[in-house]
Amino acid sequence: MIGLEEVSHRHDDSATLKEANRIPAGSPILELKGLQKNYGHVQALKPATLTFLAGEIHAIVGENGAGKSTLIKLLTGVITRTAGEVLWCGQPVGLSTPNEAIARGINAVHQEVVLCRHLTVAANLFLGDEVNRYGLMRKKQMEKMAQAVLDDLGFGLPAGALLSSLTIGQQQLVATARAAMRGTQFLIFDEPTAYLTRQESAQLFKLIRRLQGEGVTIVYISHRMEEVFELADRVSVLRDGTHVGTRLIGETNDAELIALMINRSIEQIYHKEEIAIGETILAVNGLSGPGFEDVSLSVKAGQIVGLYGLIGAGRSEFALGLYGRQPTTSGDIQWMGKRVDIKNERTAMELGIALAPESRRDQGLCLNLPIGLNINLPVFGRLSHGPVINHARESANADKQIRDLSIKTPSRRVPASSMSGGNQQKIVIGKWLSHGARLFIFDEPTVGVDVGTKAEIYRLFAKLLKDGAGIILISSYLPEVYELADRLHVFRAGKIVASHDFHAATHEEVLSEAIGV
Amino acid sequence: MTATPTEIVAPPPRRKMNILFGLTLIGLLIFLWIVLGVVTPSFWTPLNISNLLRQGAMTAILALGQTFVIITAGIDLSVGAIVGFCTVIIAWLLQAGVPLWGAIALTLAIGVAIGAFHGFGIVHMGLPPFIITLATLTSLRGIGLLITNGSTINITNEGFSNFARADLLSIPSLFWMVILVAVPSFIFLHLSRWGRYLFAVGSNAEAARLSGVNVKGMIYLAYILSASFAAFVGVLLASRIAIGNATQADGWELQAIASSVIGGTSLFGAVA
Repeated sequence: MIGLEEVSHRHDDSATLKEANRIPAGSPILELKGLQKNYGHVQALKPATLTFLAGEIHAIVGENGAGKSTLIKLLTGVITRTAGEVLWCGQPVGLSTPNEAIARGINAVHQEVVLCRHLTVAANLFLGDEVNRYGLMRKKQMEKMAQAVLDDLGFGLPAGALLSSLTIGQQQLVATARAAMRGTQFLIFDEPTAYLTRQESAQLFKLIRRLQGEGVTIVYISHRMEEVFELADRVSVLRDGTHVGTRLIGETNDAELIALMINRSIEQIYHKEEIAIGETILAVNGLSGPGFEDVSLSVKAGQIVGLYGLIGAGRSEFALGLYGRQPTTSGDIQWMGKRVDIKNERTAMELGIALAPESRRDQGLCLNLPIGLNINLPVFGRLSHGPVINHARESANADKQIRDLSIKTPSRRVPASSMSGGNQQKIVIGKWLSHGARLFIFDEPTVGVDVGTKAEIYRLFAKLLKDGAGIILISSYLPEVYELADRLHVFRAGKIVASHDFHAATHEEVLSEAIGV
Repeated sequence: MTATPTEIVAPPPRRKMNILFGLTLIGLLIFLWIVLGVVTPSFWTPLNISNLLRQGAMTAILALGQTFVIITAGIDLSVGAIVGFCTVIIAWLLQAGVPLWGAIALTLAIGVAIGAFHGFGIVHMGLPPFIITLATLTSLRGIGLLITNGSTINITNEGFSNFARADLLSIPSLFWMVILVAVPSFIFLHLSRWGRYLFAVGSNAEAARLSGVNVKGMIYLAYILSASFAAFVGVLLASRIAIGNATQADGWELQAIASSVIGGTSLFGAVA
């Protein structure tokens, strides 16, 4: 059997890697001294001084726009610094190109997998580094070596499978294995679990610990506090481009880190007000469709109904069925006391249902189109005189949402793709605020959204409730539904397996119901 | 709230760049005109200019139709074949004694039908636009040759064939047809909500659908517009050459696609 070490051994002839191998665990491997990056007049990263120790798992947390991505890009040579110094194994280095970073053993695994979907796992593992003889590729041998690496890591993935046939989580594992094979000394994970299931995350964590055991230094960037506490040895916090502190994981807690990140206490994030519950807006009875079965629930005015479950438990499928995107096979829907048949999305919108879907990228936004167009998309009918759009009202409506939601953009003409995750989510929400609705369905509204924006979104929920709307909140982040939902339904394998009133069950109970143990 | 300076790093509106880019193209064109004017004395003559306007007119109309389709991230390869086919249809109808207005209306209706067929294949049968419009390209040429038995049909209607040679206010009538098509096209694409929907469908059909846009309807509309514009060009071409021949307008679809792309449409679908 060929192990990871043997494959990565092919790279060990490079002198820089040998040099890194000499650094004993616990001594500085990478030191940033006043590292700084400006874009024009904007300081994306203010002079940062930060030390990474060989063999540690170092978490970096911060809100969107706090400078985390800038830091990664600087370290991986994607952008060049404005000022400051980087010491790699005690020697000043330039890190001015991605190739230089890779040659020194610095690699990154990104949230979005950047591999070739139409090639096999083996081909992706060896991409740019194929095994040749007489100028011809040795596919069989590469496949065998790749399989050995995959087995060695305990992935249980076939090396000959097309990458596109794997789940995003499995693709992430392949990306990690790829970095591990390249004799990496320093591996940066940028929110790797954003799209992973629980089991996939667990597998990834195992791999990360194993790499650490082999002496690799890990930088782990995440929004999820529980992961940081599970994995990291030390944690650094960035806020507004400033490095505000580094703590040993044993000497800190959620509350302190969040306070560092946002200058605000944890109680202020989950914003729940006493709101009078009104009439029943929606009552669903035994609704079934593709991916969900026999779902019954009701939503009243002023109420948040939480749907909790793991990804793939049927929550989003139920939402799409209710919204008319997917056909339902049985059951009935009562809207304001009347039985209705929701045939398509437009029927749902006319009734007064709004859906902010699960994936901003795939379902929520026209990314390469302007923010203004995205916000106005559901309401162009209202903004037009006959066939022609009233430009003044079009811009006024977009600007109003941008202002009300404090979307941080220089103009409504900027494409939505240039916004950060939190701001993109606000655009999706703004779309439905301008349309107006009695029932808002928010599917994973805070994935990839920083804590500050989360708090803003939750406050917005309260405002909608006060105006007499009802909310269905779908989330796989337990604290969110637990702290906000007046009624919590737990989904597993397409069915509601348990329902609780506000705070009527513990975290552990809800979690075990969702997992089914 | 939290001030986050990095988020302002977002690129400023690209409008200024686009204007500059647009100017380079016009600059190149003017440069070409000057060079041609110097090199050959016959370039800046009224006859040549009006000839250019006549020749360019048909490609321009095809490109307008193609633009709608390309914005939805599709492609219409059949427009050249539709032009050739429609010259046959109108010549055939005129030969059969159908009055001129009736012949024109029927020919345009055939364009609408072909476009609807494309929409049907793409929306309901799930065929890639490339495949179904390529199939139409081949079959329309074949059907056209079958109708004419491989030869051409002469058009004897003097009024009809004089139209393409006529001028109005010393501008060729064919070029007036471009304006006739371009003005409503501009209104449709940039001033009406349907234009916004077309961009939304090309950018992210699922997001558009969940926002209440009739995605299927917009795809039908784009292909119907493209095919109808091509049928209209078929009528104009028949008037210009006074024959119906299925092999006419060979390769015009590529000119139309090229004109649309040079004009700023992205082959990957809608961009801001």
